[in-house]
Amino acid sequence: MKARLKGFMFLGVILLLVIASGCGGNKGNTSSSTTTNQSTNQLVIGLDNDPPQLDPQKSSAAVDRQVFQSIYNTLVDIDVNGKIVPELATSWKITNGGKVYTFNLRKDVKFQDGTPFNAKAVKFNFDRELDPKSASPRLSEIGSISKVTVLSPYQVQVTLKQPFSPLLSILTDRAGMMLSPTAVKKEGANFSNHPVGTGPYKFVERVKQDHITVKAFKGYWGKKPKIQTIVYHPYADGNVRLTNLTSGNVDLVNTIDYKDIDRVKKNPNLKVDEKDAIGFQGIVLNVHQAPLNNVKIRQAINLAIDRESIAKVIFHNYVTPATSPLPVSSWAHDSSLKQTTADTAAAKKLVQESGLKNVHFTLKIPAGSAQNQQLGQMVQSMLKKVGINVKLEMVEFGTMIQQGTEHNFDAINLGWSGRMDPDGTIYSWFITKGGNNDMGYSNANVDKWLNQARTVSSKQERTQLYHKISQQLWKDAPYISIYYPNDYKAMKKSVQGFQHYPDTMIRPETISLK
Amino acid sequence: MGEPQLQSETVNRVQINPLRKKRNKSYSKLMKNKLAVCGGIFVVLLVVLAVFAPLLAPFDPTKQNYGQILKPPSATHWFGTDTLGRDLLSRIIFGAQVSLKAGLISVGIALTIGIPLGMISGYFRGFWDEFIIMRVTDAMLAFPSLVLALTLAAVLGPSLNHAMIAIGLVFTPYFIRLARGEVLAQREREYVSAARASGLRNFSIMMRHVFPNILGPLIVQATLNVASAIIAEASLSYLGLGTQPPTPSWGAMLAEGQGYISQAPWISIFPGLFIFLAVISINVFGDGIHDWLDPKLK
Amino acid sequence: MLLYIARRFFLMIVILFLVSIMVFGLINIIPGDPASLMLGQEATPQALASLRQNLGLNDPLYLQYIHWVGGVLQGNLGYSLSDHTPVLNILLSKIPVTLELTIFAFLLAVLIAVPAGIISAVHKGSVWDYVTTVFALSGVSIPAFWLGILLIYLLSLTLGWLPPSGYVAFAQNPVRNIILMIMPSIALGIRLSAQLTRMLRSSLLEVMQSDYIRTGYAKGLLEKAVVFKHALRNAMLPVLTVAGLELSSFLGGAVITETIFAVPGLGQLIVNAILTRDFPVVQGAILFMAFAVVIVNFLVDIAYSLLDPRISLGGASK
Repeated sequence: MKARLKGFMFLGVILLLVIASGCGGNKGNTSSSTTTNQSTNQLVIGLDNDPPQLDPQKSSAAVDRQVFQSIYNTLVDIDVNGKIVPELATSWKITNGGKVYTFNLRKDVKFQDGTPFNAKAVKFNFDRELDPKSASPRLSEIGSISKVTVLSPYQVQVTLKQPFSPLLSILTDRAGMMLSPTAVKKEGANFSNHPVGTGPYKFVERVKQDHITVKAFKGYWGKKPKIQTIVYHPYADGNVRLTNLTSGNVDLVNTIDYKDIDRVKKNPNLKVDEKDAIGFQGIVLNVHQAPLNNVKIRQAINLAIDRESIAKVIFHNYVTPATSPLPVSSWAHDSSLKQTTADTAAAKKLVQESGLKNVHFTLKIPAGSAQNQQLGQMVQSMLKKVGINVKLEMVEFGTMIQQGTEHNFDAINLGWSGRMDPDGTIYSWFITKGGNNDMGYSNANVDKWLNQARTVSSKQERTQLYHKISQQLWKDAPYISIYYPNDYKAMKKSVQGFQHYPDTMIRPETISLK
Repeated sequence: MGEPQLQSETVNRVQINPLRKKRNKSYSKLMKNKLAVCGGIFVVLLVVLAVFAPLLAPFDPTKQNYGQILKPPSATHWFGTDTLGRDLLSRIIFGAQVSLKAGLISVGIALTIGIPLGMISGYFRGFWDEFIIMRVTDAMLAFPSLVLALTLAAVLGPSLNHAMIAIGLVFTPYFIRLARGEVLAQREREYVSAARASGLRNFSIMMRHVFPNILGPLIVQATLNVASAIIAEASLSYLGLGTQPPTPSWGAMLAEGQGYISQAPWISIFPGLFIFLAVISINVFGDGIHDWLDPKLK
Repeated sequence: MLLYIARRFFLMIVILFLVSIMVFGLINIIPGDPASLMLGQEATPQALASLRQNLGLNDPLYLQYIHWVGGVLQGNLGYSLSDHTPVLNILLSKIPVTLELTIFAFLLAVLIAVPAGIISAVHKGSVWDYVTTVFALSGVSIPAFWLGILLIYLLSLTLGWLPPSGYVAFAQNPVRNIILMIMPSIALGIRLSAQLTRMLRSSLLEVMQSDYIRTGYAKGLLEKAVVFKHALRNAMLPVLTVAGLELSSFLGGAVITETIFAVPGLGQLIVNAILTRDFPVVQGAILFMAFAVVIVNFLVDIAYSLLDPRISLGGASK
């Protein structure tokens, strides 16, 4: 008898704990009444990560933008070919030698909380991004703006410190997204959890690491979206993301692992949509750190790396081998740079010419990515052949970025998502003391050309400047471009009307389900 | 993990929990002996693999062959090849070095710190024992061991050496407790009082008389913890916080292969099999030592 | 008795204090600057400096500790660095997931261990006993991540019976939730089930040798009835106690299991937070785990000492 009592007593303790630790805990789950069925009124999108931020002005992760595209509008947007087109601004004028931008705004736009959209709202948004106290990552993109003036209720003027031709292109990204001033004032730092914009979809709810739900916004100014509800689910693991697509829980995923593309193509229920990359991937070399301060060694690395093999072995030929940071899809790409396979003999010779013995350095790789690990090991083995020893070190991504900024490294495996305008893709990387110039690279000519390319507006002239820059970068080799990560979206065959934009962002309002 | 903790706690509680003092005495002794011998043989085999890896491995474990990626097991590559065309068998053979090193060194760290602290604590008792050493031990044991090792490894930065230190530190409290418990039991014995009466210094009594008497349980615990440490190292490497590429570690190989489980299952199945075999044979071997040392079971 | 409880309670407070210092200390020596992490690749130095100031990262450590503990005592575990969600809310949304996994794994362990333990004890030396022994040995030695991968390979990819990984909330779709929980529960529970089998077998054998079971025989009761009515009841207590004390290793095991099967519980939260240097989340999650373990151990101790006269109350350590 006693034994039974003890047993019950014990179970009681356990039960108590279960209740204690679970109390209030199911809050997060029960609030989500979303179902993942095959309703044609709901689109389920699988993302490669849980967006850290729903405030575009605080965002520093590209994945955030996938969700922003449904909630927010930008002043100007791009079309599928990358051409700048009107969005919240119907037209614009560039005057004063490229220093003044005057935007005429749509008059029929309301934010999802009812706040009217007008010139004041635009000014409010720019002022918030430009205020150093808000510590917005956008500041580095639009820092050239000196002031924003309201000319009339629907006309706003942006004045620059100096001409800056990439501005419009930058405004198609997060910097040009318009947030409801009312909501920003009301929520403060909490705005990220209750985002309000003018976009086709309205934020409904979010359960961290689980889902974000948005619903068609009835008062949307543009063409009414076809699908009523969109649910975004984060699946950091590529296998999980793919499984959810194949099993039918998800309609569309924003990216798939390169190794899985062939499998998806073979699946009769799925289709893959491809778009060339706008960014680049490769290796940052610290040009102030021996032995990488020796240009011959850097050139040797450039020649020793067999980009074709890397593209084939790791990426199953779904990426494009790179010879400069400006990708093939860009009008500024220089196709005269062709060395995508290794020239081991030339590389060996360069190492000898450097006069250095026992050449070695440490390459830092972001932890947790199988692809980057494989890349590191391939680079290691390729460089070994030309007499350069590489030590690999896995570093957590945030730490790696920090060490990069502090120039506390020999070499790091880091790339850039790229921007629509070539300036946004390379300026901050290669200008002396640029925000992303972790290499510590400085070349007076490159600086001059980069700045010229910003201020001149003729595309032909800009192209020539960018070709010169690409060739100089190949010679100086502060950054080893390895590949352009092309974008692959996989979806069910029933997903109709998906348009693949060069910025890789999903604009869900045109999508319907069959 | 969690595993190391389980094993260690089990052994600890054998000393403490009166309900569980007599364990498994009815096991068929013959079978147990046979198992222990089998375990011992595999442990020896593992040591041979690790020591003579360069002679035994058919290929260079880091040699990449881009024409031979993801090849299934064949006559040339018994265990197949991995994502970079490296021979899996050779990598597994070299991986034995990493696993054994991790197992032995981290347990070595735990022993070196744990036994002196535990003995001092148990021998002198008092404030340091009651309020510092034992409470810190309790506090450390409150953390799930993998979580603690993971955090420590992150603090120290990812590398095999740091992983071994992290695992060693996480295992230390078990040895403190065990050594302390054993010393508590010994210090009331007649031979200790006799030694004290004969004017021997405390240090000499501890080293010459007490230590040899508590060695048995410590050896058993250490053996079992080597198995746990192997799993722990594999777990940390699996999560990217242990051995760094291209050094072949079974855990890291498994993590690398997981993404290719449908295309190339052998990449993850073989390294895992070896972790399993290593751990089970060390466990069985450790049990064998335990039974051999424990006269009650004979 | 009261004195014993008071003493244990006092010790628990001391341990919780030490745990909090350890958690705080550990997190604050993790390299990595949360400010540059939050601002990412596009941060300006001014923005970094002002964010560090706002986050209190410039304060001396002891002040940061006092702030933190003060907050914890009021139920404020700080805010996630990635999106400013209160850590407490994040924990509360993750705990039920891990709890569900833990309960399923525990049930599974008991469901396997009880019949296996009984059969091998009753038919000692038989083939069944042998099979059980091998199972128990393998179960405690198999690495959870390998077992997880094997399960995925066999049950999902080869046989196609179960989806390989993922998670759906119970409230959303109960059937799918349970289907997705099957493999993680096996991967997490198998170790405990092996251990319970072993213990149950030996404690059953022990109890069956004891006087009152022999009396049962003398009274002419059937063997089966003897086993079930007397032996099992007595053998279960130590088994259950140990199972309760294994909470700590279950929480550790959840880290691996949840990573493999992409289950968004506490374990996955900790791994992600460590990898992204989300200090407040790591702190909160580890603190919660350690506190849960300490408190459960305390309660089990108390319950046990109340119920089992064989435990001496004056004992120096448990």
